[in-house]
Amino acid sequence: MGKKMNSEPLGKLYNGGVTKRRREWRGIKDTWYDYTRWVGNWATMAKFMLNVQNLKGFFRYRWMSNFLSVPDFVDRHTEGLRGPQLRIAHKEFDFIVAHATDTIANLFRGDANIGGDPKWSKKVVIFDENMMTHVINGFPNLTAVTREIPPIYMGSVMRQDGILHYLDAAEEYGVPSDVCPMPAGELGLAIEDDYPQVGCCIIHCNTTCDGSLMGNGIEDRRFDVPTFELAVPIRYLDEETKDYAAQEIKNCIKFIEDTTGEKFDWDAYFKAMHTFNEETRLFLEWLDVSKTDYPQVVGNNVALYRDAYYQVAGGRDIGFLKNEQEITRIMHEAYEAKTPIVSEVRHRAILWGVQAQYYSAFPAWLQNCWGIQPLIDMLSLTSTEIYSEDDKEQAYYDMADLYAKENMRNRSEGGYQVGVEDLWRFCEEFRADVVIMYEHIACKAMTGYHGLFEEEGRKHGVHVIWVPHDLMDPRTVSREEMRQSVNQYMRTILHEEPLDPSLESIDDGEAW
Amino acid sequence: MGKFISIIKTVLAVALALFILSWIVYFFNLDMKLSAALYNPLQKIYDMRKRDKRL
Repeated sequence: MGKKMNSEPLGKLYNGGVTKRRREWRGIKDTWYDYTRWVGNWATMAKFMLNVQNLKGFFRYRWMSNFLSVPDFVDRHTEGLRGPQLRIAHKEFDFIVAHATDTIANLFRGDANIGGDPKWSKKVVIFDENMMTHVINGFPNLTAVTREIPPIYMGSVMRQDGILHYLDAAEEYGVPSDVCPMPAGELGLAIEDDYPQVGCCIIHCNTTCDGSLMGNGIEDRRFDVPTFELAVPIRYLDEETKDYAAQEIKNCIKFIEDTTGEKFDWDAYFKAMHTFNEETRLFLEWLDVSKTDYPQVVGNNVALYRDAYYQVAGGRDIGFLKNEQEITRIMHEAYEAKTPIVSEVRHRAILWGVQAQYYSAFPAWLQNCWGIQPLIDMLSLTSTEIYSEDDKEQAYYDMADLYAKENMRNRSEGGYQVGVEDLWRFCEEFRADVVIMYEHIACKAMTGYHGLFEEEGRKHGVHVIWVPHDLMDPRTVSREEMRQSVNQYMRTILHEEPLDPSLESIDDGEAW
Repeated sequence: MGKFISIIKTVLAVALALFILSWIVYFFNLDMKLSAALYNPLQKIYDMRKRDKRL
């Protein structure tokens, strides 16, 4: 117990139960800071629950019980952190907590299942779980809501068993058990009648895959509203797809205009894109610092937050930009002071492939247990283009580019160049000697690359450590099995001893 | 004046007690232990709700 990193065996906090024995002692200053943020998060949740509509939603929807574990979710992603990294982590994760409560409140406000406001519902456009929302930037009178994110995406991140009920429902209905848990969970949610009934229309997208798009089409039987299927090119780098992709955006905008009676507002669109571009510039600063000997905004402090502001917020929420400006300030101060993130950085790593939602805190374990410093992950390495803020025709192509480069599809679709070749370029730029290769076993998108990664890894002299998982189903591959994949490589190939031996094997099969 | 000081003392005492209590809850993870205990009873409430299970 102490203010220094790795001063406490963190594995001893796990006792085989749902929760940890106690919270971490990080020294007086950092523990006090963590305590104040804990109070802040409870205040956010208490405020949410004071709204009668939200309270009704809490007792109506099973997936809402996953949010009882929010403080534990924050604890998991701040494990072992001290000083600036602890502050950056709280800036991000606490913001995600507040943003999630807003999203859920928007769902419940118009939800017909719990007597919501039909007028509000008519101003809500539903977007798919993994889908950019930038077309709504031009409709300031409408609200975009990604209906599946709170129950499925966040459900699995909050609790590792958070969506198992819905997976079982889908399997009992006849869906094979080797289907990707994301669309299977979404389908289970529909079968179980657990979707809030809100929104005047739905926009679907073939993000992340065609399987997901087909699943969403079937689920639409639950909703008596018009839908639009936005089909984004798979080989999006091909110049011949650009005109088609831009036309699809135009079609989508026309669909929203026809359905809602609203007109696309170019001023509102460009204003949001200005914010989005500012956010991109800050992200590029984060990446530049991550390439140095003193990276700051890395690991868990990139992944989930980048998902939130890049995909879900899309430049519409100025609060994200202000938060990132503050994070950037902390980052620069920490970099100037040459602040390390772990007591000993033994390896610099790139995380490639799709992460396990039920173990989104895995990067924290890598750095605390083995001194493997995760610098950046594949899902965060999305578009860093600066998009037009005044050219209307170009804007259609910009939006098309963004939809193609959504987090979950940017590199799993698009072909060899973005899926395989870019990895080695990033290894060089970030001076990484290790690739943690997430292998989502129920996803077929990157399966064909397996041999190529191994061959290229050998050529480039980079250690490729395969970590299988099943995205949202820990029954197939447990967190402990994921850790063992790394443990075995570190011991048998690299002959290393862990920085924190108490973390090498943790009894967290029952944990949140 | 004496009454005012007494009120201030009471407010400070309550604030201190709340702080100590919340610190104990925070450090020993009692909030999460309570949340974990609530989880199963909540599932029974969700099980009891009538649902139109279909596709």
